[in-house]
Amino acid sequence: MNRDYSDSARANIAQILKRYPNKEAALLPLLKLTQREFGALGKEEEKRVAALLDISPIRVREVVTFYTMLNRTPVGKYHIQVCSNLSCSIMGAESLIEYLSKKLGIHVGETTPDKIFTLSTVECLGACEQAPCMMINDDYYGHLEPKKIDEILSRLS
Amino acid sequence: MDEKILTSDFGVEDSHTLAVYRKRGGYKALSKALKKMKPDDILAEVKAAHLRGRGGAGFPAGMKWDFIPKETEKPKYLCVNADEGEPGTFKDRYIMSHAPHMLLEGIMLTCFCVGIQTAFIYIRGEYEHVARRLEAAIEEARKEGLCGSNILGSGFDCEVIVHRGAGAYICGEETALLESLEGKRGNPRLKPPFPAVVGLFQCPTVINNVETLSNIPSIVLHGGKWFSGLGLPEDGGTRIFGISGMVAKPGVYELPVGTSLKEIIFTHAGGMLKGKALKAVIPGGMSAPVLKADEIDLTMDCHCMLEADSMLGSSAIIVIDQDTPMLEVLRIMIKFYSHESCGQCTPCRIGTSWIHKIVQRLCRGEGRREEIDEISRLASNILGKTLCPMGDAAAMPILSIIAKFRGELEATVEERRTEIQ
Amino acid sequence: MINIDVNGRPLEVEPGTTILQAAQKAGISIPHLCYHNALPPEGSCRMCLVQIDGYPKLELACSTTVKEGMKILTNSSVVKDARKSVLEFLLAEHPPDCPICDKAGECKLQDYYEEYGLFESHYAESKSRKPKQIELGNNLLLDRERCILCTRCVRFLAHITKTGELGVTERGIKAEIDIYPDNPVSNNYSGNLAEICPVGAITDRDFRFKTRSWFLEEKPSICPLCSRGCAITIAFHPGFTRFDLPQRVYRIKARENQAVNGAWICDIGRYGYSFMDENRASKIRLPEDGGETDWNQAVDYLSEKIMRLVHMKRTDRIAVTVSTFLSNEELYLIKKIFHEDLGISKIYFVDPSEGSGDELLLTEERTPNRRGAIEIGFEIIPPNQEALAETTDIIFVFGNGINDQVENAVEEGIKPIDLKVLMSAHKSAAAERFDCVLPMSLTAEKSGSLTNVDGLVQAFIPALEPLGDSRPLWAILTDLGRKMAIDFKTYRKFSSTADIYRELSREIPFFRK
Repeated sequence: MNRDYSDSARANIAQILKRYPNKEAALLPLLKLTQREFGALGKEEEKRVAALLDISPIRVREVVTFYTMLNRTPVGKYHIQVCSNLSCSIMGAESLIEYLSKKLGIHVGETTPDKIFTLSTVECLGACEQAPCMMINDDYYGHLEPKKIDEILSRLS
Repeated sequence: MDEKILTSDFGVEDSHTLAVYRKRGGYKALSKALKKMKPDDILAEVKAAHLRGRGGAGFPAGMKWDFIPKETEKPKYLCVNADEGEPGTFKDRYIMSHAPHMLLEGIMLTCFCVGIQTAFIYIRGEYEHVARRLEAAIEEARKEGLCGSNILGSGFDCEVIVHRGAGAYICGEETALLESLEGKRGNPRLKPPFPAVVGLFQCPTVINNVETLSNIPSIVLHGGKWFSGLGLPEDGGTRIFGISGMVAKPGVYELPVGTSLKEIIFTHAGGMLKGKALKAVIPGGMSAPVLKADEIDLTMDCHCMLEADSMLGSSAIIVIDQDTPMLEVLRIMIKFYSHESCGQCTPCRIGTSWIHKIVQRLCRGEGRREEIDEISRLASNILGKTLCPMGDAAAMPILSIIAKFRGELEATVEERRTEIQ
Repeated sequence: MINIDVNGRPLEVEPGTTILQAAQKAGISIPHLCYHNALPPEGSCRMCLVQIDGYPKLELACSTTVKEGMKILTNSSVVKDARKSVLEFLLAEHPPDCPICDKAGECKLQDYYEEYGLFESHYAESKSRKPKQIELGNNLLLDRERCILCTRCVRFLAHITKTGELGVTERGIKAEIDIYPDNPVSNNYSGNLAEICPVGAITDRDFRFKTRSWFLEEKPSICPLCSRGCAITIAFHPGFTRFDLPQRVYRIKARENQAVNGAWICDIGRYGYSFMDENRASKIRLPEDGGETDWNQAVDYLSEKIMRLVHMKRTDRIAVTVSTFLSNEELYLIKKIFHEDLGISKIYFVDPSEGSGDELLLTEERTPNRRGAIEIGFEIIPPNQEALAETTDIIFVFGNGINDQVENAVEEGIKPIDLKVLMSAHKSAAAERFDCVLPMSLTAEKSGSLTNVDGLVQAFIPALEPLGDSRPLWAILTDLGRKMAIDFKTYRKFSSTADIYRELSREIPFFRK
């Protein structure tokens, strides 16, 4: 697939590159932008970003594989990330994860066959006052219980 | 004393907008500083305020700024630590969402004081909406000449750039934050040299937490002595206490430094949820050693917490009830630390994973009670030997749980073992 | 100078010295894995933690600079416990590969366990299985189970070769060393990676499974394959009594020399050692010798042939072809015998063609002593084939020790010449064309000195025994000089290369440094 960046992405890239005195500092924002554009950061995308910064692709891979939010393979349209850290677990996260798993018919780490939902567990999201909570793409949902999860998912699909 | 510095605008509609912030007195401090004060004046006030860092380490902010070399040809930088990854902590999210201009004003006052012209806000990747709010606030401020070049016509330039993280707790450690900002893996650096001398892009750098900086406007407006008086002698001001877990009203509560822990739990947060009994409290984020139910008669300030062999940390209180097994708490803790270990140094990389494997086995019913000693031994071997403080952050709470809840841990281990037989 | 105290011993060191360096100077060794003295400190293995009076935690010796009055303990029980704990962590995930691991016998993990460990394993989990033969490039293999993530390999490629092929990917316990798929390690210094790896994680195919480190003896020498003159260590098998081995030399290692090559050697020098054992000339051949002859006969024969031309005053009929592979002493002897004693002007040089040099060590010249030849007073000119054919009755060809380039170069002009003498270290087809063949020892098998590209004169001593009947050229020429007796006094003094060098430096100021 030989897609290229969209025009708006290119404009963003130019802006991002201007922000930093050392161009290598643009790596993380460029990777996040590239992930939004192409869905994931595979070899093609790594090389693209490496070319933008004139660095060796291995330097890009070192960074891609370090950060949890950078995906090497695509996730579903909605990436459901349920917090499994302390406050959320105290407030019942484990049973909610089981509930979601059953409801979607997939295990944690998997994507539904129609590629709509991916289910993951993550560490503390910084929304403990709403425990148990989850993040779907960029959005937080707290005070979860099965009924609320049903509502959220039906709104999305 | 009911002084609200940071949360005074929380709950006010559109509190995040420049218009509302200004109407309620915002940017008066910046104006005062640029028109009537010298950088050294501001430093003096911040020192007099006894403002300690609110990120977790509690280091006096004025002292930290003083480490920046006075004579240097290199540009200086401010990095705002908005990575907020310490489990249990969410206060900075509130500040940035509801009072981004307060943070911005604090940033610019700090930059003016130390002689910095570029500030990066390193915000955790999960806080995308909060990051957009910050960027909107920066644009609003820029349009009004409150940020960017020639602020308020004073000749002082200060650019503020929002830089998003991508999911790594370790990037909340100041030197790992610098590495990440520079486009590398978030591997903590050896200290010395300290960031004040060799920081971002090898230049002198101040790194402060969101809440710490958000206090600067009020310190500049009302003076350091006033701020100090709100709290305790060496630990001034108010703090935002975040409380979560099995309490009736989890959330943020701004209270003076030195407020009683019991008061926060039982008065402000409404006590335990119906039918639940208190078993343990983590007082300062997951890395703070745990307190038993009969140990919570403490005040929330750096000194008292240290004396109690715990720490104030990020003042994030997690309340654990009798129905939550401490073995589960242990499992969740070590799962977190081994997942977040950067992998650079031997004790943390291998030690956290080793402990995790043992605890998983114990939880599955495939362990013996004696192995709790093994966990203790391994945690002690991590303590004090790692490249960065995360090793201690992992070891200390684990050691405290074992020290204080051994009986329960052993019972749970035995229980699980008999279950699977 | 800074005054410190290490284990109760007062020491005086330069400011800026680290605890590890200070201890090394005092002969106190502090164990370390990720530290390498040619790379910036990394501080990640945690093996070098030491106790400093007044400091709350143990501190790293590799990266802590000494301060006035520091009291350091490198062997207290606290320090020993810390070392044990680091070893325990490393060994927990380490495979029990010693019986099949090439690094055995020179492995830091083994050494430190023996010295500081000796504990029972408490590890009750299953060790993670990982790939054990990742191709890194240039015949290097990575065993991820053995890797302790000291990152010396990554840092070497980042700081020394600046090619950066290796990186650290993934995070935490999953962290691993990796290359980018179509960008393997491909520089001329890759062999150093296997050498600096403290364990058997990176190995090279050249050495893998061939022998055991404890069977090998090591002697210092100088690499003769370019004019840098890198210090090397030749690791050779002294041989078994009951059966022969196919080779003596099993590998070349870098030897530290801050004045020349730092801590590194290039792959050409590291892996190009087969010439030391393969295809060696080992028998003397004289015309009509009946298959049995010795050095006395050989020297007598040559001397007689030469002296006949001397008495006829026709020494202009002698030619010499040589290469700048030879040592200072040998080139000096050639000058003395052929140019001064015999008045010969037809002295030619045949050298391997130049290659590309790099910014690190490798020079364009691929012989070790061009500078030496120039300083001794030679003009480096190639053979004039017509002049040789017409005007020569005796030709002496001194081989270059690596291949038959020199002897081949004079093939065309050589056929008409009455007496063709070859002194070479190797057998060759060209040798058949010569009437007299004398086996010569290699740089590794003799003593002497070489002058490197920067004009540094470096002495070397034998690492290996000469093979078969071969002798160092300086000894052959000394005997010839004595036998011819044109200047017996001088040659009589030469019983070692030191004697020759003394004479050389007396005559030529350059060699007096």
